[in-house]
Amino acid sequence: MDVSIRERDGVTIFDIQGRIIGSDSLELKSVIDDHIASKAEGEVKILLNLARVPMMDSSGLGVVVAAYTSVQRKKGRIALLNLGRSTRQLIVMAKLMTIFETYDNEDEAVASFQ
Amino acid sequence: MATSQEHIIRLEIPSEIQLIYVLDAVVSEILREMEFDDEAVEQANLAVIEAGTNAILHGNSSDPNKRVYFQFLVGEDKLTVIVKDEGEGFNPDLVPNPLDLENLLSTSGRGIFLMRTFMDEVNYSENGTKVQMVKYKFNENK
Repeated sequence: MDVSIRERDGVTIFDIQGRIIGSDSLELKSVIDDHIASKAEGEVKILLNLARVPMMDSSGLGVVVAAYTSVQRKKGRIALLNLGRSTRQLIVMAKLMTIFETYDNEDEAVASFQ
Repeated sequence: MATSQEHIIRLEIPSEIQLIYVLDAVVSEILREMEFDDEAVEQANLAVIEAGTNAILHGNSSDPNKRVYFQFLVGEDKLTVIVKDEGEGFNPDLVPNPLDLENLLSTSGRGIFLMRTFMDEVNYSENGTKVQMVKYKFNENK
């Protein structure tokens, strides 16, 4: 799994590539946690781009949930972009679709943060 | 126990979470060789990864001196996967339901739920140190 980070209109986009399984989750959690810690309260705006994540296990889902709660605590926002079939199914099964904001279009997702 | 129509593939790994990739590769290849459809491959693969992760992290507490044993019984119409760890065991009936409202935002505890969701049969034995899962190639209920 690889993670690259870019900024767009004040939104930090995490482009994640590859399966998120096993020890990947720890690596991803570390990257997200470091970013959240670097931001002041109310300034956290995160978009997790999962377009190139063909599969995620429960530990990966746990990282997304942890990111959500951390961002909430810091009065920020986090959304998920481009869920694939497998990741969408996982989130639906876990009854988290009503909790996470999800988008299929990056322009719309970024605009929603403005 | 394998039937005469099944053949057995065995895999044994030390309790290192990085080795989940080996399991991932083996399971994916078996499922594709058996010509499961793409969705079933993803589901069964995820379930086996969850079982392996549980065995490494919770069963064997990541002790590299303890091993996890996998058996894949490849049949004409189904794959049976047996995962055995060397830990103390646990009672799977006591694992909280991750769909309960108070657990929805838990960062862990969904592995067994996903195994039960994505496999057709999941049965624990030997004090929770062994789990046997079955995925059928043709199951109209899944």
